[in-house]
Amino acid sequence: MDRIKEVLNKFDMEYVEDYKSTWIKAKLKNKNDLLKVIESLKEVGVKTCSTVSPTDFIDENRIEVNYFLEDLFNKKNVWLKVDVDRDLEKCEIDSITPLMPSADWHELESFSTFGVKFKGHPNLRYFLISSDYYGKFPFRKDFDWEAHEQNLIENINSISDEFFEDYEKNEKTIGHEESKTVLNWGPTHPASGPIRLKVFINGENVEKIDADIGYVWRALENLVERKDFVGSIVAVERICFMDNPNPMICYSQAVEEIAGKEITPFAKYMRVILGEVGRIASHLISAGSFFGTMGLQTFLMWNLDIREYFLDVLEDYSGARIATASIEPGGVRYPLNDYKAWFETIQKAIDKFESVKADIDDIFIKNPLMSSRAKGNGIFTLNDVEEYYLAGPIARASGAKIDVRIDEPYAAYGELNINYVTCENGDARDRLYIIYKEIMQSIDLIKQAMKKIEEGIESGEMNPTKDHLIRMPRRMPAGEAVSRVEWARGEMLMHLVTTDKSTSPYRLKMRAPSVNHTMVLNKLISGKTLSDIPLLYGSMHICQGDLDR
Amino acid sequence: MSIGAALFYIIVFPGLLFLLGWTFFVFYFSRKTLAYVHKRVGPHFNGPAGSLQTFWDILKLLTKESITPKSADPYLFNIIPIIVPLIAALPVILIPWTPLINNGHGILDTNYGVLGLVVLIGVEPFLLFLTGFGSNNKYSFLGGMRILAQMISMEAPFFLSALSPALLFGTMNLYDIMFSNTWLTTLILLPGAIIFIIAMLGILEQPPFNVPDAEQEIVYGFYTEYAGTNYVLLKFAEFTEILVVSAAAVTLFFGGYRGIFFDSFWWLFFKIVLIAILVVAIRASNPRLRLDQMLKFTWSWLTPLAILNLVWITFAKLYIVGV
Repeated sequence: MDRIKEVLNKFDMEYVEDYKSTWIKAKLKNKNDLLKVIESLKEVGVKTCSTVSPTDFIDENRIEVNYFLEDLFNKKNVWLKVDVDRDLEKCEIDSITPLMPSADWHELESFSTFGVKFKGHPNLRYFLISSDYYGKFPFRKDFDWEAHEQNLIENINSISDEFFEDYEKNEKTIGHEESKTVLNWGPTHPASGPIRLKVFINGENVEKIDADIGYVWRALENLVERKDFVGSIVAVERICFMDNPNPMICYSQAVEEIAGKEITPFAKYMRVILGEVGRIASHLISAGSFFGTMGLQTFLMWNLDIREYFLDVLEDYSGARIATASIEPGGVRYPLNDYKAWFETIQKAIDKFESVKADIDDIFIKNPLMSSRAKGNGIFTLNDVEEYYLAGPIARASGAKIDVRIDEPYAAYGELNINYVTCENGDARDRLYIIYKEIMQSIDLIKQAMKKIEEGIESGEMNPTKDHLIRMPRRMPAGEAVSRVEWARGEMLMHLVTTDKSTSPYRLKMRAPSVNHTMVLNKLISGKTLSDIPLLYGSMHICQGDLDR
Repeated sequence: MSIGAALFYIIVFPGLLFLLGWTFFVFYFSRKTLAYVHKRVGPHFNGPAGSLQTFWDILKLLTKESITPKSADPYLFNIIPIIVPLIAALPVILIPWTPLINNGHGILDTNYGVLGLVVLIGVEPFLLFLTGFGSNNKYSFLGGMRILAQMISMEAPFFLSALSPALLFGTMNLYDIMFSNTWLTTLILLPGAIIFIIAMLGILEQPPFNVPDAEQEIVYGFYTEYAGTNYVLLKFAEFTEILVVSAAAVTLFFGGYRGIFFDSFWWLFFKIVLIAILVVAIRASNPRLRLDQMLKFTWSWLTPLAILNLVWITFAKLYIVGV
């Protein structure tokens, strides 16, 4: 940490200070120094850019660009701020993509939504937003959403015009002479989900993949700004329905940090249980659809059957199975009136999983045909993890020891017995195995947390009917916070900014792992065959909800 | 053959109605069996245990609009779905279905039965390639190319293993082959039967060889642009082909309609259903192979094994069965 501080202090900084246990927060005075700072940070090991998050301070006529830079293996992170001018002509800054490839799509996103031009970006273009928002920069505070909505028909026409232009361009540039063509793999393809991969193929061989995203862009980051602090959880949880409680934990932690409140131990353990149940529910679908990409639906069906029992757990607690809205700033939303009955439901779900585990091992995990296709296919090395910032299960499948639950313990993870789960090869098969191993780990964590809650209640330290929520102030002080959780698909980072006496967030940046996982698809799939696309795509466990937000 | 008998053969058994009934049955049967393995219920509401579901499904498809895409070749696109089921249904005249028809022979009792079966089954994929070609859709075309690649490589082991009973018994007449079969010869033919069934999975595009209509890769292969009646006709052809190929397997290797205590159509049917269960079980537990893996498997394993099998049959004919 000291070396990083030394490096930062060489430059003209407004302040350099410690933040949490693993972060250094710094503000750069002159934006022209940025590239030099990044270069010297790279020399001390900070090689990865987690995300780029601009904040629009309209009153002060500036846009503050936040860079979240991480040293993945030594757990030393830098939060770097730079001010740029808000006027569209002057709103530009050097691109760090040539130095840190992991920043690529994050910079494009900032450009499309805030209009920050990144000089020297290899391919600066509008991205994520549909063509009716081009040049309007919807996340700026002065963007008029209502006026925009009034031209609905024209907006739709401009989207379809863009599509036809693209189609004609493809047909003309490629022609009909050779065996080359462009396949639209999505957005209505049986295995794609709402994403379009432009696949340039030569016969059966894939030459290049160009991802076109934004089909489920709901502007969640902007939606949050129109709700109050508690109401925001329903926007936050819709980032992806598969693992539902963890994004809310992430958001609530940021709010609690700004308010300066500490939640009760009971609420912390409840967050662990809910978060892990959400992780299992998500992993079961991920593992099932991994086989679904090879035309075998049996595993998915079995997993959906098991998943119902874990959804029962969420339903018993919150009344909802998918969008639970069960965690809010200050703790968890509902009291636990009959904790024994709830624990029985959890036990039932765990028993259900363990009863079919032997069959799953024999039929699916050891399946020779699956191995022949997935083993050694689509390998990521530790270098790739650092360069493109692959997170969560994908990184751990390559042997990287990364897990926010251990690196920067939140909720009650610090008090539980938890270890890194890793695989070694980093191929597609390992990305299935890691998911399967993590389900086992989550079950273990749930058992530990249940035991702690039981002990706490018996000794009188915890009161499940009263301890669930602490009083949060209705109006927040000015401040900002960064909160991270280990989501089912990897690290989720939220950057929350509030103004004084505000009732709703001023800016919330949600950084989700699928962006980077989609970004590497070109590198992953180029040179493989058409049959490998669904397999490798499925092995990245991408969810379009958190890709577009 | 009287006109009445000919009409009966064409319309009732083993012609149109029988094939339609089979299509309904096998569609329902595979759905229900697969649902059982998936821990689902499967068809449930229409008819007893959902048995009428397929009937209504096909009725629904018949009432749907048959769409011909603007870019497709309208003649090729619409004629092939009529030719395909006809070609697929032709081999039924060669197979001895039941002791009650034609004294237990096939309707067309010829000394070249095996050859006829093999040729008529082999023509089918080229027609399906034409559907993909005529659709003028990238996915359909890729599916068509894949089906050609798969058929060219799968037909070699398929034909070679189909020859093994003909070689062993010295005849190509299906009736003679069926009645020459004993428990001993069934054992001798077993390796050939296994190769035949594996190649059959490839010919019928069943998992793990469902490369040509790999849903996750090329949508629905050559089926992609088809809807309504044309789709029903193509599906009807597919199920007819399943029937013909598995009936051929039973006739060639497992004694056709001959059974314990009595000879009947139901023995043949029972054996076909056993093969169908095997196919569904493989389908429910195995992912799809890649195209290049499939090619490698057929050319470097299956075809050499099929040739070795012929050597084994010759050996058995000389030294075990005796000429």
